[in-house]
Amino acid sequence: MNKMIEIKNVNKFYGRKQALYDINLTIEKGMFGLLGRNGAGKTTLMKTIAALHQKKSGSITVCGVPIERAGEIRAMTGYLPQDFSMYPSMKTDEALEYLGALSGMKAADLRERVTDILHKVNLTEQRSKKVAQLSGGMKRRLGIAQALIHDPQVLIVDEPTAGLDPEERIRFRNLLCEVAEDRIVILSTHIVGDVEATCEQIAIMDEGKILWQGTVSQLINNAIGHVYTANVERRFMPQLKKEYIVTGMITQAEYTTVRIVSDSEPDLPNAVLTEPDLEAAYMYCLHSSGCGIKGDEE
Amino acid sequence: MMLFIRECKKIFHSLTFIIYFAAVILMFFTQFWPEMDEPVTSSTIDSYELAKISGEPETIMPKALDSLTGCYFSNTYRCYPYGLFKAVHLNSRDNDKIRDCITEMSSLNADELEELKAASSISHVKVGTNELESYNVKGVPLSVDITYERFREIMGEVDDILGGGSDYRPDDLAYKFSQEPMTHEEILEQYDEFMEKDHIAIAYGRLFSDYLGIILAVIPVFVAAALVTADKRTKMNELIYSRRISSFRLVFTRFAALVLTMVIPVLLCGAIASARIMYMYKGSTPDIAGAFAVSGKWLLPNIMLAAAMGMFISELFSAGMAILVQFAAWFMCMMMTSMPLYGHIRRFTFICRHNSLFYRSEFMKHYSDFIFSRIFYTAAALAAVLLTVFVYELKRGGKFNGIMFFGKDSIFRHKT
Repeated sequence: MNKMIEIKNVNKFYGRKQALYDINLTIEKGMFGLLGRNGAGKTTLMKTIAALHQKKSGSITVCGVPIERAGEIRAMTGYLPQDFSMYPSMKTDEALEYLGALSGMKAADLRERVTDILHKVNLTEQRSKKVAQLSGGMKRRLGIAQALIHDPQVLIVDEPTAGLDPEERIRFRNLLCEVAEDRIVILSTHIVGDVEATCEQIAIMDEGKILWQGTVSQLINNAIGHVYTANVERRFMPQLKKEYIVTGMITQAEYTTVRIVSDSEPDLPNAVLTEPDLEAAYMYCLHSSGCGIKGDEE
Repeated sequence: MMLFIRECKKIFHSLTFIIYFAAVILMFFTQFWPEMDEPVTSSTIDSYELAKISGEPETIMPKALDSLTGCYFSNTYRCYPYGLFKAVHLNSRDNDKIRDCITEMSSLNADELEELKAASSISHVKVGTNELESYNVKGVPLSVDITYERFREIMGEVDDILGGGSDYRPDDLAYKFSQEPMTHEEILEQYDEFMEKDHIAIAYGRLFSDYLGIILAVIPVFVAAALVTADKRTKMNELIYSRRISSFRLVFTRFAALVLTMVIPVLLCGAIASARIMYMYKGSTPDIAGAFAVSGKWLLPNIMLAAAMGMFISELFSAGMAILVQFAAWFMCMMMTSMPLYGHIRRFTFICRHNSLFYRSEFMKHYSDFIFSRIFYTAAALAAVLLTVFVYELKRGGKFNGIMFFGKDSIFRHKT
């Protein structure tokens, strides 16, 4: 089967407001990161792929099935929304059984599958706990479990690590990488570290448009020669922030070591070129695409 | 089946269902249970003060005309619009219209009416906390030309002038003005019907359905609305929207679960009532199955329609709107109920009333209308569920978000 999502010239409107502009993307098996600021249109695109939103024009096929065949798309897709919960009075395993039943699974298979999936997301000990009693991280893992319960070919996760502590975030990212071995996983996030740790292929969105698509290393390569470090007196920091995109700061006594993204060599006495990381590369991408970001303001 | 069981469990665990359960039990024990204090026997049946309604125009017309004339003289009319008492006092123009109606129905002209008023004595009648002035009028001569059909038409005009709900509503004329006590023989006939035709239990089944039908026409909407809106309230809706299940199967499964769970307390009350009947009528063979059959036919459409409307309006608007609409419909049905509370079941009666263990023949006279109404409302419930499927499918595919009256998506909010 064609394990690929193809998005061609997709436009989407909310009333008169255009939310997606001529989106073209090809997503293959493995982890795919969709990076962008809040309000960039990531959630809209995810919901459109999951057949939860209507597009105005263009075409989307998921593993060869056009998005208009919503029933088939839903059968092969697992979706974890950004803001979700479950019936708080249900037990963890009951919630999974309920959603599994909604996915058309047979009762006999479901029991076994729930046990397996709870083990996979490390919630076996919580299976008899009510959903309301789970911590934020556990709820997120339960969210992944419900999205995987019917063994979908495509997994769509929207901002899954928001609000998680570092340990839970790492655990969650590892879990996503595991499940991406044999399916398409689309991870939407505004946290660059999540993409850096999990995805090879990424796309950057802003204001409903795809600004860039490629591999993580390609994005970093694009930023080579545009990232600098410099030691600056603290009193010059406000001025510096106005003139440059500052992606990192370490304050030591009177001086601050800053990491700067700039088209040309900054007018600073001790500025030196440095290896870009993904965060700086992402900021450079936004900047070079003409997106208004801090540091561009005059 | 698994999904159905899960939906049932969800309903059982909801607060609204517990309230529903309590309301049904409360209605049963406060309204119906006292009717089973003692068994009906040939010696106790006289205490039921059974009345008959002759419905004869010769009885109705003079009594109704006397009553209306007395009210006209005092310009005080007793009305019950929407079931609540209201003493209506008309302006002179409208009261003159009433006078014209009286002069058409009687052989008196306006001057003769004034003479009659002067000759009539006045008494004071207490209605609740109100004391009303009333003229004692008797023997107003009927016009020789007036037919009963024209008489009813004029009384309809009178009722309109009074704003509705008056004693002169054409459909209530027979009950108000031709009621008389049954003779002992007639009462014994009622007893025979109770024993031989209703086999005791069917009569209780009707009375049981009469009481429970009142609340089952409205409170299921609370349970249905709570179930439908739980998905949104618990942020579960997108998880459900993205599943494989068809909207048709999901909505109908939920509807079936709602109906089944809401039938359970009714069945429980029915079982308690049956045990009581068996105990009271030891030595007889009450037709318990017949009682359950009549109650099922009577009450199931009420539960189905209230639940279906709750689902549909909650999906279309909100749970609050569903409750408001169903409560308004229920209130209107209750207010449109004619007296007496038996023998008035028509083709489109939603809340069927038969508030007596007796008058079987009155019920059977309208039995085909009763069956029609039950089939009609069952079909209406299924149609409402189909509409719910349609709305749910639209919402699920992002084509429709429901109609909001408040908040940022309000239809009244100007969109730029």
